[in-house]
Amino acid sequence: MTPRITAAMLVVRVRSLYREPSALFFTFAFPIILVLVFGTIFTRPEHLNFELPVQDNSGSEASAMLLKALTTDNAFTIIPIPPDADPRLYARENKRNLLLVIPKDFQVLHNERALKLDGTASVPVTYVFDPSSTSLGTKLQLLNTIVAAANQRYSGTAAFITLKPVSILASTYRFIEFFVPGIIAMAIMTSSLSSALNMNAELKQKGILRKLAATPITRTDWLVSSILYQLILSVISTVAILLVSYFVFNVRLNIGTWLPLIVVVEVIAFVGIGMTLTPLAREAESASAVSNAVLFPMMFLSGTFFPVEMMPGFLQTFARFLPLYYVNEALRASMIFADCAGTLWSVAILAAFAAVAFVAGTVLTRWGE
Amino acid sequence: MTRSTEHAIIVDHLSKRYGDLLAVDDVSFAVNTGEVFAFLGPNGAGKSTTVEIIETIRRPTSGTVTLLGMNIATNKAEVVRRIGVLPQGFSSFDRITVRETLSFYASVFRSLPDINALMDLTDLRAKANAQFKTLSGGLKQRVGIAAALVNDPDIVFLDEPTTGLDPHARRQVWQVLKGLKARGKTIFLTTHSMEEAEALADTVAIISKGRIVAIGSPARLTEKHTEQMRLTLKPGDAAVLDLVRRMGFSPTRTIDDGIAVSVPAADDVRAILAAIREAGLPPPLGLDVRKPNLEEVYLKLTGEQLAQTGQGGVQ
Ligand SMILES: Nc1ncnc2c1ncn2[C@@H]1O[C@H](COP(=O)(O)OP(=O)(O)OP(=O)(O)O)[C@@H](O)[C@H]1O
Ligand SMILES: [Mg+2]
Repeated sequence: MTPRITAAMLVVRVRSLYREPSALFFTFAFPIILVLVFGTIFTRPEHLNFELPVQDNSGSEASAMLLKALTTDNAFTIIPIPPDADPRLYARENKRNLLLVIPKDFQVLHNERALKLDGTASVPVTYVFDPSSTSLGTKLQLLNTIVAAANQRYSGTAAFITLKPVSILASTYRFIEFFVPGIIAMAIMTSSLSSALNMNAELKQKGILRKLAATPITRTDWLVSSILYQLILSVISTVAILLVSYFVFNVRLNIGTWLPLIVVVEVIAFVGIGMTLTPLAREAESASAVSNAVLFPMMFLSGTFFPVEMMPGFLQTFARFLPLYYVNEALRASMIFADCAGTLWSVAILAAFAAVAFVAGTVLTRWGE
Repeated sequence: MTRSTEHAIIVDHLSKRYGDLLAVDDVSFAVNTGEVFAFLGPNGAGKSTTVEIIETIRRPTSGTVTLLGMNIATNKAEVVRRIGVLPQGFSSFDRITVRETLSFYASVFRSLPDINALMDLTDLRAKANAQFKTLSGGLKQRVGIAAALVNDPDIVFLDEPTTGLDPHARRQVWQVLKGLKARGKTIFLTTHSMEEAEALADTVAIISKGRIVAIGSPARLTEKHTEQMRLTLKPGDAAVLDLVRRMGFSPTRTIDDGIAVSVPAADDVRAILAAIREAGLPPPLGLDVRKPNLEEVYLKLTGEQLAQTGQGGVQ
């Protein structure tokens, strides 16, 4: 690999791109449109209702007081739910975006506090919520206000009732927050893989590859310049997706050192895979067919649009053989959950994919014959 | 060593097979340093295949090629640096300008040519900032020729450099090639045009069906492979007919009452005209000497080949 050659290839490709407006559109605008469309679908406003299912495990005087406070001025309409129901399951099955659970020892703790046996006694009241609901915010605000007012009646500095949030989902994030890392991963994959394939087929079709084959350009020069080119596109695309998600849907994700690393590894992996597939895609048509054949299953089975956990078991197993799955896992682990160990594990597997794809790409790219 | 300095390229028993098709069939020849060598042959004869094997773009099925003293199979990197290549139907990045294209290829070769001089040589200066896709076919071809020269190569390969060009553009390209030859470059050219081969080449190899059917200078080829010259005299005076017959030729009357006579050499034409003058006969008013040319050689040789393999005629 020679820096000057690599740089020259890079310059030619960047120039070719910015002089081709439709390519620019599909590279950068298309994923953003997806974010806007899906984001709008999944965050559509819901009808506001102030029904509040409550599981009153205490069934006491004290809990009745709290319920009364909640219904005062028609704030909430209480819907009692049976004590043996699993609150999370109930909320999910009955499509409740907010549900309150009053613990068994509510009366006992109330007495301790009220009779000043223990001035710091407090009771956790769990509320189960659906993070993807748009009307949740208003209801939560109301709940908080009422609980704060109820707490005023207890002396002492510490609040008696503390609200404990539990998401109906396994973890607490909105769908759009789940979705944005998936779109970033998908945009990078699509652009890296299909542009590697299409560029190759196009240059071949035009006979440019024959000219390049009679120059000192090596396959490594070619691959590295493709990777750098895709890296530039990927950075622009990722930043654009993050900015739009933030300003339009207020998506805040952790953008640490992991994100750039994952982007680099993903680009290497998919440009490498694209180059590896070039012998299958000699013409422009076969190039797009090959890239679609790889891209679409990967997109739908790797958890881009919905969690892999929602798929049947055998597909979940299959997903674990797809590099995009690990990109999604790594991006979500780092951007949503700040889970370093999980990110590291996924990045390591992805890096293994990338290494194999890079080597295969340098060996299998065909120019002359 | 002496061979390698007098011969820029030595091709030895080269063959290339594509499945059942033997595209190049046991071809051997040598190209002298500093000469213009032309491959002349019909479509599908194997010209590009042979040239691209020499350029290291394709691999031969068997045989060896020695270029500037190096075996190309084991010295690809060095070979590529010493040659300039214009592929058949040259094309380049659509949205890159002429100047950018040339500096791209210069970077690729890690060389620092005078891009302006290259554009002057190929008459591209006015189009320096035009994107490749906006150029006409002839201009694109000239960009290709300029791109083939960025590394100051010792040998320049040009696969059909003038196909599709108008007569002016053709002659412009010929001028460029003559300039290159004057600068001591070895030029390997493929063409369908006899005129081009005759105008430029020191050595012509006629290739048909993957085999070289004739090789030599254009003059030697025409001499060796064509019929005699044909002299036509008008009007067809009976005395002249008699005189020519007595000189040992076999003249015939043409349909428009002229005299046609086949002669082996140009000297015979002169001798006949001198004899007419000496005999005091009226000098012919109309005189036409048809010289044999490469086209006849080509048609004869490639036609024979087609006939031999039973593929001439109706197709
Ligand atoms: N990659 C290939 N695969 C299969 N057959 C090929 C391939 N390249 C060339 N051929 C065949 O080999 C023969 C020689 O082709 P080649 O391109 O060398 O001809 P050419 O003399 O350059 O013709 P033209 O004047 O049309 O350029 C042709 O019959 C062609 O169909
Ligand atoms: Mg050809």
